[in-house]
Amino acid sequence: MNRLDKLAEASVRSVARRTSRRSLLASLGALLVGGAAVPLLPIARGAEPPAKGAARNGGADDKAAAKAAALQDPQSCEYWRHCAIDGYLCGCCGGSQHSCPPGTEMSAVTWVGTCHNPVDGLDYVVSYNDCCGKSTCGRCLCNRNERDTPIYIPFQSNDYNWCSGSSKGNVAYHCSTARIVGQAR
Amino acid sequence: MRPALLWLVACTLAAAVRAYEPEVNYMLQCMGCHTPDGSGEPGRVPSIRDTILPFARVAAGRRYLVQVPGAAQSTLSDAELAAVLNWMIVELGHGTPQAFAPFTAAEIAEYRRTPLIDVRSERERLLALTH
Amino acid sequence: MGCQHLRTVWASAVAALAAAATTGAAPLPADPLSQVESLPLPPAPHWVWVNDFAFSHMANGKAMLVDGDSGRFLGELDTGFGAVRIVLSTDGALIYSPETYFSRGTRGTRTDVVTIYDAARLAPVGEIEIPPKRSSNMPMIANAVLTDDGRFLLIYNFNPAQSISVVDTRARTFIGEIDTPGCALAFPTGARAFFSLCADGALLKVRLDDSGRGVAHERTAPLFEVQTNPVTEKAVRRGDTWYFVSYDGTIYSVIIGRDGADLTAGPHWSLTSDSERAQQWRPGGLQQLAVHAGLNRLYAIMHRGGPETHKDPGREVWVYDLDRHARVQKIPMQHDSGSILVSRDAKPLLFSIFIESNILDVYDAASGRHLRTVPDIGTTPTIMVGP
Repeated sequence: MNRLDKLAEASVRSVARRTSRRSLLASLGALLVGGAAVPLLPIARGAEPPAKGAARNGGADDKAAAKAAALQDPQSCEYWRHCAIDGYLCGCCGGSQHSCPPGTEMSAVTWVGTCHNPVDGLDYVVSYNDCCGKSTCGRCLCNRNERDTPIYIPFQSNDYNWCSGSSKGNVAYHCSTARIVGQAR
Repeated sequence: MRPALLWLVACTLAAAVRAYEPEVNYMLQCMGCHTPDGSGEPGRVPSIRDTILPFARVAAGRRYLVQVPGAAQSTLSDAELAAVLNWMIVELGHGTPQAFAPFTAAEIAEYRRTPLIDVRSERERLLALTH
Repeated sequence: MGCQHLRTVWASAVAALAAAATTGAAPLPADPLSQVESLPLPPAPHWVWVNDFAFSHMANGKAMLVDGDSGRFLGELDTGFGAVRIVLSTDGALIYSPETYFSRGTRGTRTDVVTIYDAARLAPVGEIEIPPKRSSNMPMIANAVLTDDGRFLLIYNFNPAQSISVVDTRARTFIGEIDTPGCALAFPTGARAFFSLCADGALLKVRLDDSGRGVAHERTAPLFEVQTNPVTEKAVRRGDTWYFVSYDGTIYSVIIGRDGADLTAGPHWSLTSDSERAQQWRPGGLQQLAVHAGLNRLYAIMHRGGPETHKDPGREVWVYDLDRHARVQKIPMQHDSGSILVSRDAKPLLFSIFIESNILDVYDAASGRHLRTVPDIGTTPTIMVGP
């Protein structure tokens, strides 16, 4: 819902794609941040992120590996699906990237973005359905504003509490999922 | 006027970029409110499943489908918007291709200049007309 | 404390009491019970209200009042779930607050109201129920505004249909909703006129009759380019001009004509030079612009970052002359700044907060000198309003 993200690591970001009218650079399928192309690192599906507290000697390879791992970690803000997310990650709150924590309700109205999966090289439409009806989860806050629009262009704006569109009136925002809806072809 | 010039420049640049399939444009531009199968949210977002085909078969309804602000104001080009509407009529409204005249970019361009302000009463009028 | 030290303290106390008894000074009297402060009216020009939507506990929104001159915390209002902003009445005697409540805290039946508070006692004196669809979004000034004569309160709804609820503050009644499909928020332009911002960059102009009902709607042609460089919602107004700023720092002005009914696009100008833009200087924040009519100044929070950083805070406020469209000053910020407000009086203060922090910084708006930092202002402070 808002820009409270302290995890904004500039060098690992997927470009959120929304419509065909995006920049030419983005359409080349590169991961771009600040003009520097981030190489796609060879990483196995399901690779574990580096253990917290493990001794690191701070080498560049270590950092790159950590970032590559984060791209594949659903509980990381850098997870590839999270390119336009805004809120708390449901995976840290008793749900998952596509399911809501117990006792909450998924809002069908939502904002969407397109994110690039570095593993299979495909772009996906990702829908950030909120889970609603309980107070904010408070864990794993993540906000990325790539191609985010102002609220007068609602369907690509992450500044709305999209729980307010849920018909059961459960407006209290709890967390956000990141559901794949389809391939962005 | 300068904003119009900026807009034209942006459109020209964008034309060089890959376009999405109509189904994907639906996901990006419409699905967020109309939901994946078009059934919407009771009491908040009306279902389009039973109305989109009957509307597309009458002149006033075709105009409505383009002039409703979500369509008219979207960033889709006229051709893209035509393709999305045609996809929606078939996939969400269960319209066979023979059951309606497909939208063309030219038709879209004509209607889209005047987005509707009074959407609510126009929709009610069309519902009465087509049902 | 060691025993030796305690004995010394005790001995001193005994001595002091003995001395008092000897000189005849009376002990302090008991304080009165149930004494409650109230505020003088009208509000002082250097007061500032900080709204807080309390993101980690959204049912407990607040608005907090601080005296910018002394740094003293003067009081607060509890403003319900997803609090956006309070609205000060034109004469300063009342405060209107659009609020949302659930019957069981964060669940149950939803009720939306405009609570009317006495501005001296900061206590509710009335309540007007409104449709339970008040937009829940990152707070913006344009979510709730008064018409220019202060009579009608306009509240933006989103569920996700878009409309404006109109409340007559004089009669204290809900008048009705005005549909604004495809358009958001409310920017007042007269006693009976406002516009909303539409998704294609057009403005939807609405006129009200004297009972607050919408009687005329008209869309302008698109005034803004929305695809690559949209304007933000965070516009400010000086007199007959609304100033919008785009992601890349271009100012688009909208000039109000006679009776608030006419709107024309005014000049565009940029907050940055070509080289500054090449270095990615741009405005950012949640309440990123401020104006001062008397000094004829526009203030913008500036930072360096890519196009997706239009909500990022900055460490500088750049100041512009509104006649010459030229920058005249840069004010360094002591801390990250995400929202600014300049008081309206002749010796204005510049206030600054940031949603990830809970301090309020106060500056002299003319010299830029940092005057004080007020701690402990809420949990996720959002936007500010002032008298």
